[in-house]
Amino acid sequence: MKNWYLYFVLALLAVVTIACSSDSANEETEDTSSNDGQEQTDEENITLRVAWWGGQERHDRTLQVIEMYEEQNPNVTIEAEYSGFDGYFDKLNTQLAAGNAPDVIQFGGNLNDFVYRDVILPLDDYVGNQLNTSLHDQSMLDSATFDGKLYGVTLGTTAWGILVNKTLFEEAGVALPSKEWTWDEFKDLTPQLTENLDGAYGTGDFGEDGFGVFLAQRDKFTYLDGEIGFEAQDVKDWFNLWKELRESGGAAIPEVQVSASQTPEQSLIVQQDVAIESIASNQLGAYAGATEDEFELYPYPYNAETGKNGVSLRPSQYFAAYKDTPHPEEAAKFMDFFVNNIEATEVLGNDRGAPVNSDVRKNLIDQADEMDQAVYSYIDLVSESSDAPYIPNLPGYNENTQLFTETEQKIYYDQQSVDEAADSYYEEVIANIDKYVNEAAE
Amino acid sequence: MESSEIKRKTKLSKDTKKQYVAAYLFLLPWLIGFLGLVLGPMISSLYLSFTRFDLLNTPEWIGFANYQEMFQDDRWLASAKVTLTFVFIAVPTQLIAALLVAVLLNKKMAGVGFYRTTYYLPSLLGGSVAIAILWKNLFEIDGLVNQVLAFFHIEGQGWISHPDYALGTIIILATWQFGASMVIFLAGLKQIPKELYEAAAVDGGTKCQIFFRVTLPLLSPVIFFNLIIELIKSIQVFTSAFIISEGTGGPINSTLFYTLYLYQKGFTHFEMGYASAMAWILVFVLGVMTLVIFFSSKYWVHYEDGGKL
Repeated sequence: MKNWYLYFVLALLAVVTIACSSDSANEETEDTSSNDGQEQTDEENITLRVAWWGGQERHDRTLQVIEMYEEQNPNVTIEAEYSGFDGYFDKLNTQLAAGNAPDVIQFGGNLNDFVYRDVILPLDDYVGNQLNTSLHDQSMLDSATFDGKLYGVTLGTTAWGILVNKTLFEEAGVALPSKEWTWDEFKDLTPQLTENLDGAYGTGDFGEDGFGVFLAQRDKFTYLDGEIGFEAQDVKDWFNLWKELRESGGAAIPEVQVSASQTPEQSLIVQQDVAIESIASNQLGAYAGATEDEFELYPYPYNAETGKNGVSLRPSQYFAAYKDTPHPEEAAKFMDFFVNNIEATEVLGNDRGAPVNSDVRKNLIDQADEMDQAVYSYIDLVSESSDAPYIPNLPGYNENTQLFTETEQKIYYDQQSVDEAADSYYEEVIANIDKYVNEAAE
Repeated sequence: MESSEIKRKTKLSKDTKKQYVAAYLFLLPWLIGFLGLVLGPMISSLYLSFTRFDLLNTPEWIGFANYQEMFQDDRWLASAKVTLTFVFIAVPTQLIAALLVAVLLNKKMAGVGFYRTTYYLPSLLGGSVAIAILWKNLFEIDGLVNQVLAFFHIEGQGWISHPDYALGTIIILATWQFGASMVIFLAGLKQIPKELYEAAAVDGGTKCQIFFRVTLPLLSPVIFFNLIIELIKSIQVFTSAFIISEGTGGPINSTLFYTLYLYQKGFTHFEMGYASAMAWILVFVLGVMTLVIFFSSKYWVHYEDGGKL
């Protein structure tokens, strides 16, 4: 038995040695890079890991830009880590926890959650050097600024919009609405579609994003600068609106709605399950590319009382750098290339939204095809008619989004009345926000 | 200690020593794996279960707060309920299916090898993502199941999108994967001495009587083994629920398996301390259940040699 003990210790030592050696290897690479970082020589070989999520279209375009970058910077090898949206952040969280996150990371409106948790590199030292933001829209720079520091580069401007499947409208023999439509028209229109279509419904549920727009139409908001901007009654009104739409036959039945998938290819509107769906405008290309059907982008139905459509320009996604990246300058340089380089942005198009660099945007509009023109003109329309401020995601985005979906489903399947469900949603969302904000403050 | 060590060592012949070294060398990879990948993480997760840990910042000691919070957490209760429901339905149905098919396939008939392979195949594919996706497509509102039902003029359901049925589809999936237990049952059936059947037949036992009086008792050690294995497997079920509900455990938490909720807490809600506490509760419950089955076994498991192996 004593022998056994001896070997146990030996094995332990072996584990420790292995663990230590990998640590020291890490330190070495970090050291060299931070020493040479200031005066980079072309011979130095750098591997930069870049992570994003998206559909096939986005992967293809992004990979092409990465190739371009590698050609122009032969010393840089880029490891692309891409996936669909499902599981993207789970994986990222794991990598962050392990101290093994990619150097450049795509975030959405949840960038704030990660800035609070202190894992994002502030970019201020690189702005004006490796990263040029002089031509970027101020509002988009503001959206990535927290406590006076810039944490990300906005990859595009987008806006919530209503995707209308023209093909299904024609099939149903229903005339397309005017672009200044109201919720009442929407309520009239959708049951007609359901009635005249075989196995398809008028509209899919607009969900949590729609709720944000709905609040803006009432001059309210979800959460901004430490303040909750809505009441439980607003939640009730929103859920009642959809209950009414389901009862009139206009909105998809629960079982169809619940089976909806996040990806454009599997979405209800592409699968011809519904004729109307709420999307972010930059997604138009991905949706249209996944089907033969003809689509058109509409603004949200207006609130007849306030005359507002509540749609605002918003950043679609960001690139941000991992706080402990060994190559911060190189990461900044890559981000700069991604949003400012004319050829690169021509490849990227507006898949992540309309470019935030005004020169790039002009260049793209000049050569845009019909589909892209539609997106740009929608962004133009919104920027002219925008009557709402940009509201970032709720803190604790993942948890709150799940809560919203769960609440919707409880109503769908009559497990709770609208009033009960809305009240408990309101209570829980406030508790969640408190939890996240307080934890971040600690 | 040192002197005794030396004495012992000198006593060992060179050959024996070599064999020891060889044995430990061969053991080393496993030992390193065990220490680094099992024991180490277990100890750190035990520590983390008493902390608030958001994955990214330093854990903060909070004592038993995570354990207390659990019992007021509706979703935790829902996940425990889903998992127990699953275990209590899926394990027995799977074992019964496995046993029945094993008895059938124990007969001498043409192509028996083919059938055995066919029935074993699903459990080989077992926890794979592909099967979960296939299942999802089968039971979707316009999936194959509903198309078949429509052929018989029955209107189907959105099986996986309805909270009353979603768990059922996963139970069916688990039952369908009975192959592994079936193979073990088959092996057990082969062990039963033919003389016993002959004797029972001579005594005029019906097929039914023979099955319940001879086959089942003699098979009970194998049933016991399969029961434990399947219990452990099904209490940890994850992949199918994760894929079929796209990671949400929905609709309305109806497929929120314990492990799925644990995963959500740890990796999507940044509450690794809470997730660790959940993991230890799982270990505890699994341990208790296993012990109960072990202790109950002396009343229903019969060993030919009286259990004195």
